[in-house]
Amino acid sequence: MAPISPKSDRSLHARFRRLMGGAAVDRREFLALATTFGATTVVAYGMLGLPAPAHAQATPKRGGTLRMAMTVKELKDPMLMDWTEMGNLARPMLDNLVRYTQDFTFEPQLLDRWEVNDDATTYVLRLRPGVTWTNGDAFTADDVVFNLTRWCDTTIAGNSMAGRMSALIDEATGKAREGAITRTDDMTVTVQMARPDIAFISNLADYPALIVHRGFDGTVDTAKGGFVGTGAFEMERYAVGERATYRRRTSGAWWGGEAHLDGVEFIDLGGDPATEAAAFGGGEIDANYATATDYYDVLTGLGLTLHETASANTQMLRMNVTQPPYDDIRVRRALQMVIDAPKMLQIALSGRGTLAENHHVAPLHPEYFDLPEKPEQNIAEAMRLLAEAGQADTEFELISVDADYLRLPADAFAGQMREAGLKIKRTIIPGSSYWNDWTKYPLASTSWSMRPLGVQVLDLAYRSGVAWNETGHSNPEFDAALDRALATADVEKRRAIMGDLERMLQDSGVLIQPFWSSMGRHATPAVQGLGMHPTFVVDCAQVWLDA
Amino acid sequence: MIGFALRRLGILVLTMLFLASMVFWLTNLPSSLKKMAKSEASVRMSDADVDLWLSQNGYDRPLTARFGEWLGVLPAWQPETESTLPGRCAAVAADGGQPFCGALQGHLGRSTVFDMPVSDVIAPKLAATGWLMLYSMLILTLGGIGLGVVAGIREGSATDRIVSALAIASTATPDYVWAVLLVVTFASATSGVSPILRDWGLIDTPTLLLGTATSAETAIDFRNFTLPVLAIGLYGVGYIASITRASMVEVMKAQYIRTARLKGLGLGRIVLRHALRNALIVPVTVVMLQFPWLLNGVVIIEIIFNYKGFGWLVVQAAGNNDIELLMGCAMVAAVIVLITQLVSDIAYTLLNPRLRFG
Repeated sequence: MAPISPKSDRSLHARFRRLMGGAAVDRREFLALATTFGATTVVAYGMLGLPAPAHAQATPKRGGTLRMAMTVKELKDPMLMDWTEMGNLARPMLDNLVRYTQDFTFEPQLLDRWEVNDDATTYVLRLRPGVTWTNGDAFTADDVVFNLTRWCDTTIAGNSMAGRMSALIDEATGKAREGAITRTDDMTVTVQMARPDIAFISNLADYPALIVHRGFDGTVDTAKGGFVGTGAFEMERYAVGERATYRRRTSGAWWGGEAHLDGVEFIDLGGDPATEAAAFGGGEIDANYATATDYYDVLTGLGLTLHETASANTQMLRMNVTQPPYDDIRVRRALQMVIDAPKMLQIALSGRGTLAENHHVAPLHPEYFDLPEKPEQNIAEAMRLLAEAGQADTEFELISVDADYLRLPADAFAGQMREAGLKIKRTIIPGSSYWNDWTKYPLASTSWSMRPLGVQVLDLAYRSGVAWNETGHSNPEFDAALDRALATADVEKRRAIMGDLERMLQDSGVLIQPFWSSMGRHATPAVQGLGMHPTFVVDCAQVWLDA
Repeated sequence: MIGFALRRLGILVLTMLFLASMVFWLTNLPSSLKKMAKSEASVRMSDADVDLWLSQNGYDRPLTARFGEWLGVLPAWQPETESTLPGRCAAVAADGGQPFCGALQGHLGRSTVFDMPVSDVIAPKLAATGWLMLYSMLILTLGGIGLGVVAGIREGSATDRIVSALAIASTATPDYVWAVLLVVTFASATSGVSPILRDWGLIDTPTLLLGTATSAETAIDFRNFTLPVLAIGLYGVGYIASITRASMVEVMKAQYIRTARLKGLGLGRIVLRHALRNALIVPVTVVMLQFPWLLNGVVIIEIIFNYKGFGWLVVQAAGNNDIELLMGCAMVAAVIVLITQLVSDIAYTLLNPRLRFG
């Protein structure tokens, strides 16, 4: 690692000043951590004595329309959004306060910078100057306060930001706590957490945290341009299930200058990769949203460029401990033991991914703790446990939705379980009804999008009683340790707690998680500056066409 | 004749009423409502949130009351709180009072998936499918009847054998199989004729024809529309040809045709003036019956070629349990099916002077 040159920057977190004094951290961890606490990507790389990676080396050319295959869903209030595609459909018009980059770092977007105190309870958000809305209003602290306040409103059904803002919410009223969000001046907002929350900045970068105008009333009228926005584009036409088109912003200037592209077009091809390949072949699209694993070779064969990134996205099996026979830990451990992870990675993803360890924290997370216990296949022990639990002859029902990304891994799991001698019944439920009861299925395949920090998914999915807890995992000790981890800004100390969390989750046996999947997308060679983002962010303002 | 038409209209109304109540009942089963709430608000919301959403939007009231409102025989429900969808025909209700606002008044309601009035959603999609049906129908009718007549003129001739064999092959191959074969042959950059044509410099696009009809939504042209039309047409053309051939063969054996030949009339005159009119009675009925088949049959072709027409709309509506849109689609489909049957009955009487109503 290159030596870090000490700099005195008061906006930096105390942790860095120590880090820069020579503490041992590896490069990736330093970058994620540094940017979490206020350094930009360039500054963070600079502190390491490295140049920031350049993604667009040639001079961007102006003009052209990017045509991307992507599901066009009904556009709704960002905080109610439940698909990454929805975020991308709003993103030409709306920005986040903070952006999560393709290098796993955080960069200010509508913020100019932010400051955080040592125990991550007070955040000072300093706004980017010179940002204007498409209706002519200036972007001010009022907008930020408006957004933060509505994110805290738990009385709105389906508000997914409320879960992320729990440290700002008064449980008695179900709304923002008095004094939690303060407008310090026109361009500054101070956020006071009830308890330390290291995930706050990361949460600001999520797609439901797209910033809407202070006059937004919760309804989105796509016939009238959708949103009043701060982004580089304006909506032209929006037809659900068909296409969404945007053109370079004309009402007021975009804070980033001008978009390279004249316009953007998202075309809904119905989700069949064969249709997508035909559309690529016919020259009807320039890029897709993501490439299905079994279409990598087909699309590369068409002369398209593959953009790929590692990620902490995962497909796995999860068991619900409230449903028999999975209320018996012996059954859960036995099912974990029949799986051969490297083989599963090959079968399910053709090797396009990295190995996971049944605890839902990935090596790319800054606070990842490398547990010595790795999951290993042990069929004899599995059979012994099943016999002991009296479930040796049980037929296990493995449920999945009909979509390929969950059906195919589920089939692969079922195959290995059958090979081991278990009786497996596969049940496939259509996507239209699958999600009605998705948290209740006894044994099902599931997928989780990555969050930048390791603690975040643990908080969303394995804390007792939370809405997205589909395993029924409930352990007061785990919850307490999670609270401690979320309050520990020091990554080394947090790593020790993470070790406990990972082990508790691994021992609970609720997950069979053999791998993390890499994400790939194909585009024509002309498309520049698009790349692939681990959380599927499509930032059209950076894209240009080398035509 | 008028009595007959009135009777048919009466049946049409009864059928639609029955169909409407069936569809309404099915789309309002508790699980269907839950599905809709989730697709509207949030896929991963809790059961308590689902119940909250349903009651805020008036879906927790009795089925019969809501059906009455949809039909327009009961006054429309108005939401009490602000954070809900507008009630049925909110614009009308703004004038005050609780007006009747349902299908009988011409309001088909609002699609939850598309967030637009149902009639505005259906009309352009029906038009899109209309184009697909029109071109397919042209191939079906002209190709099928033409081939059938040619084959049926001389039973057992070489032409007859070849056309019959082709007809059986085309009918035995379903439209979705045709679709795949056609795409591989004409719309693949790596297989079929496109790479060869490109090498020869005959085409400057990567493929001869397009394997998706997505761009036909904005403008229909030869490249983007040929394959879906052919896929439907090829499947149906063999059937029509077989029917026409059989009918033609029978007519050509009739006494009056023999008489005409003995009188020394030319073959062309015999076929066109004397045989065709009688031979066409059956095929015309069958062609008319293709309309309902096409309306349903295009679903799979629209999905394969990603053409956003009526079939695709039905899939979207059903997949998201969009109650009012499904009701609207069912009503439109019923009207089209029943009207084409009416028209086919009338055409039958015009072609066949032996049939009289009254």
